[in-house]
Amino acid sequence: MLPPFELLEPHSLDQALKMLATSESVPLAGGTNLLPDLRARGEAGGRFISLAALDQLHGIEHSDSRVLMGARTTLSDILHDPLMPTAAPSLVSMAKVFAGSMVRNAATVAGNICYGSPSADVVPPLLSLDAELTLASAAGERTLSLNDFLLDYKKTARRPDELLISVAWAPPTTATANLFYKLGRRRGDAITVVGVAVTITIENGNCTKARIALGSVAPTVFRAQEAEEALVGGPLTATTIGTAAQAAAQASRPIDDIRASADYRRHAVHMLVRRLLTEAWQTAGSQHD
Amino acid sequence: MTDKETQMITEKRVDIQVNGQACEITVPAWRTLLEVLRELGHKEVKCGCEKGDCGACAVLLDGKVVDSCLTLAWNAAGRSVTTVQGLGGPDNAHPLQTAFIEHGSAQCGYCTPGMIMAAKALLDDIPEPSLKDIKRGLSGNLCRCTGYTRIFSAIQAAAETLRQQETTS
Amino acid sequence: MNRIESPAAGTANLQLRQVGKPLVRTDSPTKVYGTAVYAGDLTMPGMLCAAVLHSDRASALLRHVDTSRAEALAGVHCVLTAADLPPSQGVMTDMPGQTGGLTKNTKQPILAKDRVRFCGEPIALVAAENAAIAEQALRLIDIEYEDLDGIYDPFDALAPGAPIIFGDDNVVASYKVRKGDIEKGFAEADFIVENTFTTQYQEQAFLEPEAALAWVDEHEVLNIRSSTQVVEHYRAVADAIGLPHNRVRLRAEFVGGGFGGKEVMTIEVWLALLALASRRPVQLVQPRERSFLSHGPRHPFTMTHRTGVSGDGKITALQIKLTSDAGAYAKLSPYILLYATVGATGPYRVDNLHIDSVSAATNNLPACAFRGFGTMQANLACEGQMEEIAKLLGMDSMEVRRRNFIHTGDANVTGQIIRSAVWSDQCATQALATLGERPTDTQTTRIGHGVACYQQSYGRIRWMKDSSEAWVGVEMDGTVIVRSAVTDIGAGQSSALAQITGEILGVPMDQVVVYFGDGAVTPLAGTSTASRALYMSGNATKMAASQVRKNLLSCVAGYFGVKIEQLDMCDSQVFIIDDPQRSIALKDCVKLCAAEGVHRHNLAIFRAPTSEGIDPETGQGEVFPDFTYGAHAAQVAVDIETGEVKVLKSIGAHDVGQAINLRAVEGQVEGSALMGQGFALCEELILKQGRLQTGSLSEYLIPTSEDVPEIKAIVLESRSGLGPFGAKGIGEPVYAPVAASIANAVADAIGVHIFELPITPEKVIKALREKESTK
Repeated sequence: MLPPFELLEPHSLDQALKMLATSESVPLAGGTNLLPDLRARGEAGGRFISLAALDQLHGIEHSDSRVLMGARTTLSDILHDPLMPTAAPSLVSMAKVFAGSMVRNAATVAGNICYGSPSADVVPPLLSLDAELTLASAAGERTLSLNDFLLDYKKTARRPDELLISVAWAPPTTATANLFYKLGRRRGDAITVVGVAVTITIENGNCTKARIALGSVAPTVFRAQEAEEALVGGPLTATTIGTAAQAAAQASRPIDDIRASADYRRHAVHMLVRRLLTEAWQTAGSQHD
Repeated sequence: MTDKETQMITEKRVDIQVNGQACEITVPAWRTLLEVLRELGHKEVKCGCEKGDCGACAVLLDGKVVDSCLTLAWNAAGRSVTTVQGLGGPDNAHPLQTAFIEHGSAQCGYCTPGMIMAAKALLDDIPEPSLKDIKRGLSGNLCRCTGYTRIFSAIQAAAETLRQQETTS
Repeated sequence: MNRIESPAAGTANLQLRQVGKPLVRTDSPTKVYGTAVYAGDLTMPGMLCAAVLHSDRASALLRHVDTSRAEALAGVHCVLTAADLPPSQGVMTDMPGQTGGLTKNTKQPILAKDRVRFCGEPIALVAAENAAIAEQALRLIDIEYEDLDGIYDPFDALAPGAPIIFGDDNVVASYKVRKGDIEKGFAEADFIVENTFTTQYQEQAFLEPEAALAWVDEHEVLNIRSSTQVVEHYRAVADAIGLPHNRVRLRAEFVGGGFGGKEVMTIEVWLALLALASRRPVQLVQPRERSFLSHGPRHPFTMTHRTGVSGDGKITALQIKLTSDAGAYAKLSPYILLYATVGATGPYRVDNLHIDSVSAATNNLPACAFRGFGTMQANLACEGQMEEIAKLLGMDSMEVRRRNFIHTGDANVTGQIIRSAVWSDQCATQALATLGERPTDTQTTRIGHGVACYQQSYGRIRWMKDSSEAWVGVEMDGTVIVRSAVTDIGAGQSSALAQITGEILGVPMDQVVVYFGDGAVTPLAGTSTASRALYMSGNATKMAASQVRKNLLSCVAGYFGVKIEQLDMCDSQVFIIDDPQRSIALKDCVKLCAAEGVHRHNLAIFRAPTSEGIDPETGQGEVFPDFTYGAHAAQVAVDIETGEVKVLKSIGAHDVGQAINLRAVEGQVEGSALMGQGFALCEELILKQGRLQTGSLSEYLIPTSEDVPEIKAIVLESRSGLGPFGAKGIGEPVYAPVAASIANAVADAIGVHIFELPITPEKVIKALREKESTK
């Protein structure tokens, strides 16, 4: 049973932004995180703005240089988009293991990002793709990188009057591998113990770009930038991959919780980064050959 | 707050089609579709966790499967809901229901209504699902009795029946 | 067809037309069409909603409970605390449903009075106009606690000077088994293998949380319709609140999963009190989080085996120590410990044996019945030890098992002679063979095969003098009615009675209606627990149906002028075996009986074998009616970098005696394969200072569809059991070996045994590191 709360139901984006500007309220998209939180807290109060009727936030647009995803895109929409397997392979891999069908039909990309949880599975793939977010308010729009958006545990750069309206990234080139792995305590519908997304671009046999995004091992999803730097500029070898994996593990700041210890999480980061980088090198490298 | 649009509305009349029948109910914003359906007498929609962990309350909302416990009744306004009773009954059983009966896919039966609706959505989406597709399609529907194996086989059998119906019609 | 029948089976000439066939269960259509009614689906005019306030402290004095603010809330009809109950308030949590035999007199307060002993203990009950008001009222109850030191580890509880939670010494129960000459046995041993195994709390996680509805009817009878495994709780409710037994009627609805969690009374007595206080119908459906606190999970066990073994793999001596965490109240812990004690040596004959078992009280959640009832934990240690012995001797573990298997005619742990078939070897061999070839290891994965056998009882402890009644009758149109208060908890309990009756009376199953689970109008059947429902109620139903058959045939014999033995019944016809053209429809046959005043119905009682208990010094005596034997085999792939374990194949092979409904039997094997996998790998109730950390289905993880391996059920039929047609009980037995087989498969894969369940990725990595460092 949910405690009493207010729900505003804007019919347009403008109306929604006006509501956000004038009333202390929280945007409510799929509700798969917020409603269980409300129920657990059990206290009356709070005001939500339903995004259900905002059709302009739906839809995915693909062009050669850019994928633009409306913020109300659901996890199911990702799986049903025929171009997504090439536009964001890691995002598709993630969506396949995200919760169950019903939650995939409800949960939105924006909701998952804005909730700010370290175990938000949508985030590592998008972070590994250098995604940019567009936030709108009654005062106008601004764009910032997902990386800059994530501040701390359940803290993001979204101001209370802002709404995340879209996510965009450049689709990976054919010389790029983009992979994701989720380690959980069971295979279906589990909260992530360690989530890893990597993007590796290989040009002329050298790694020209590396992204390593890690979930559930720090107060927020983050990029292991030292590890990324260790990879760029040459071919990926067992040594460079090992160094990067080590650096990624060291950059992690996990906690002990009911799912795993901090020590284990660090170990898993090391192993999974090494594994994904090795695989990425092989696939991106073979694309190049 | 002076803006009219941000005036708090505590209760609202909601029209929902449930299994083809028009229903009208006046509810506050925090009432879930699960609660409303059960209040309307649709006790076939089961409640197992109230937070989207178990799938016992799964129904189709405009053809898409949702956890009714995570769906606000207001958000279902003007939309159409299908529960397992709307799928079919003894006189007009859906092939999924026939297959669940024949394969012994229900034991305690409490997960069954939600499971069948998730299976229906899966077959609407992927008419010839692989075992992998089936496993993925049901991962939000917990079953504690069966080990799921007879649920998988029933869905495969129903898919086959539906394919045959398709080709003969 | 994975079905093996014994050519030498006891009832070799039996021709079964329905029994054993994979027929559609009578309860399937209603569940699939969504018309089946569960306790939470019931409504009544004027019905109130209840809510329960559970303690959020594990060990504290209740200084003050103030309900005045809650009572003042509009829409609240009553708020009850311990102060509102009779001074002797308490509910028996002893083995439910028993009419005779010894009792442990374990009483638990209905509501905490001066002290709370576990986090989750009920303190207050509310009945209100609707659920929202009831919830709000809970938040208006003010409680002043004074925290006390708590004990959260059974070994701490047993240490000298520990604060006392239970009795004089925190010992809830203890048993001793003394058999043969253990000193001599160890002296004869070539090797001694000692290991300690531990298991975790496991939650039943039935999909339907506790639910019930209670009201006082026009005859001043208190009615309760509940999701329970035990109709006979009406007696405990009556005793607890001071009503005569005949003024409480309990009906069990379809149960959305029980697994032992709805065996001891959960919410019925609370609703009884609220219904009496409010004089209105009151319903309670526990939210999932409170469901975790409303029944007892599986006991954590610590189990040490010290085994003396000869060079050829024969066990010469075995010393076992078992310690279980009972939690704050006894509930069924004494009995569960007894099951563990009897199951501690698995399906093996051990002549020189010492077992010391103890169950200790702590401020943790009170643990209680869960499928397997202590036996499966004990079996895990036993079967892990088999692997360790085999490894030390460099032998195949199946060979070690073969040298020690108990056989028909041998005496088991408590000296009870095993009289039914013991097909452990056949089952294990079949299960292993069905695993097939091992896939090859990869750079990062290791494949392992594991097997485990078991011995699990079916039927109640003998000194409880168990019985079950059933009524069978034929209507004037030839349709058939069965009445039995058996509860239908999802395994096809009522359907099996229809199938048995259909077999005996020669009517199709769909011509039989089973009325079940009503304490007032169906003959009492005992409980759907202890793998006894089919054994007991199946026998009672078969007896009743057989008497009806005899009555009907005697009339027809007179009509045709033949002997009863010359007649048979099939397809609702009675016919002469050698001249099937001469037949009479069942409905006409019934008319003959009616005209002659012959009973067309019968009430039968089946009584299980009894004993007077065991010798407290030696543990010797007959404890159970009989045992089921079988095996489970698993193939796993272990990721040696991340420690993740994936079960690839899971095969159960069991001698079920005689399958009544083959499909239902296979369903039990398949379901237990995944539940056991959960216990082995991912399920764990975590308590921190007695406080539950995993109290939802996103934190307590049962296997999902994505976790399902290839599962196969192999059904063997010795027809040697005590149940109808030679059936044995299977609900718990098929679960007993699963976790052990997976643990053994993991050990096989990584070359090191993990002695502590669940086998998390983390524990796999730790074990691999330790193995590496000892090289």
